[in-house]
Amino acid sequence: MIKLSSVTKVYKGAVVAVRDVTVDIGKGEFVFLVGPSGSGKSTFIRLLNREERPEHGTIYVAGKDIGTLGAWRVPYLRRNIGFIFQDFKLLPKKTVAENVAFALEVIGKPRHVVRKQVPAIVELVGLSAKMENFPHELSGGEQQRVSVARAFVNRPPILLADEPTGNLDPQTSVGIMKLLDRINRTGTTVVMATHDRSIVDTMRRRVIELDRGSIVRDQARGVYE
Amino acid sequence: MSLNPVYVLRETGQNLWRNVLSSAAAVITIGVSLWLFGGFFLFNYAVDNATARWEGGIEFVVWMQPEASLEQDDNIRTSIETSPSIRSWTYVDQDETLEEFQEIFADTPELTEVVSAEILPPSYRVVPVDPSPDVVAELASQFVDRPGVQEVVSADKTIRDIQNLADRVTRVFLVGSVILLTAATLLILTNVVSAIRSRGAEIEIMKVVGATNWFIRIPFMLEGLVQAVLGAMGAWIGLRILDDTVIRGLSQPDSLQLMQGFQVDRSEFYSTSLLVLVIAVVVSGIGSAVAVTRYLDA
Repeated sequence: MIKLSSVTKVYKGAVVAVRDVTVDIGKGEFVFLVGPSGSGKSTFIRLLNREERPEHGTIYVAGKDIGTLGAWRVPYLRRNIGFIFQDFKLLPKKTVAENVAFALEVIGKPRHVVRKQVPAIVELVGLSAKMENFPHELSGGEQQRVSVARAFVNRPPILLADEPTGNLDPQTSVGIMKLLDRINRTGTTVVMATHDRSIVDTMRRRVIELDRGSIVRDQARGVYE
Repeated sequence: MSLNPVYVLRETGQNLWRNVLSSAAAVITIGVSLWLFGGFFLFNYAVDNATARWEGGIEFVVWMQPEASLEQDDNIRTSIETSPSIRSWTYVDQDETLEEFQEIFADTPELTEVVSAEILPPSYRVVPVDPSPDVVAELASQFVDRPGVQEVVSADKTIRDIQNLADRVTRVFLVGSVILLTAATLLILTNVVSAIRSRGAEIEIMKVVGATNWFIRIPFMLEGLVQAVLGAMGAWIGLRILDDTVIRGLSQPDSLQLMQGFQVDRSEFYSTSLLVLVIAVVVSGIGSAVAVTRYLDA
């Protein structure tokens, strides 16, 4: 599903964010990216949805070399990749339903599809009772659930999450991880960057550890360290 | 790309409402600049129509009586042909005079319908070697009171002064409108940039979930277009007022002889209106395109 071959990303000032990374992530896998701050986790994720482009190497997503995609095709790539932010990035003037519907409206989905899919995904994340609430009326965990719903409403085969539990307390984080696990069980590939040791140790999924841009460990059913 | 018109209109309306004051400023600036721009054309048309018979260096016109005999006409023609003070001349027969009349009074069918070629005077349009007013006056006087001549009219200093004044006025209109159009373009650009910045979070989400660049751009570009079209509508109303009151007022039959024919026909007015609309679209296109390419796609 995702394949990186000898990928290197260098930022201005010769800062190497990702160094000669080669990795293969299969369909339906759940992968934790771990490592200290500045190790290249976020850059790794941003490379996968073409927010960044590598200086060297090739990246295949769903069988396509995304480095050769024309700029006009990038949006179509991103429709196959859900993205969950650490800080939720919900639109404050839109309700829960509107925030989720927004992700479908802006890719031109017809109204009847929006009307059908939004309640279903909101129910999946357990917020049916709060469809008409605004983000400021929700707890942090609920806001992150809305963010997950928005990322998954289009049923993408890949879900990327950059520190999705970084702003949440441990108990709320467990709820979010259960949700991501449930989504993963539908066959969705999940790649999640995290600092959360307890989550990684509890779930025992594949762990890729980065240090100064290089992969220093790639372990099936791994732990944080 | 599949565009939902309801979504696009809603977003465009919200953008305009968010920046309602600066949007109003842009509409007013575009309106005034396009009014000046259109006024430049209308004024030029009116001056051209009023002075059409004096173009090409023609300094005086010998109007013959419609019923002048061939012999009388030959006498005048011979005098003109043999005069060393005359560089060139043109004969305008009664049919051509009727065409000219119909062109000048195209918007007054009640007048053109009752006039026929037979009652209109043919004329000699004369270009002298020396166009100085004294020489022209002296030369023209040689044809006054000759048999068959109805009237001799010279393009005296007043007409030339009007042409010079009109040239200057239209230049001021043109320069003023170009400056204001530049300001309007910058205002549209600023408004679109402001709308883009106020919607930074939405745009980020749109890009992440896979909205195409055109889907993101179009509401912003429409915002600029709406401002420009509203400005053009204001300018059009202003041009109608200019035409109906000032220009037509000056060309009334009881106004100065010089100003008769100082008018704009319908086709000239509508071609100017169309030009104003095209300029509005171009101005909004430039302002919005620069804004979205520099601040949205970056």
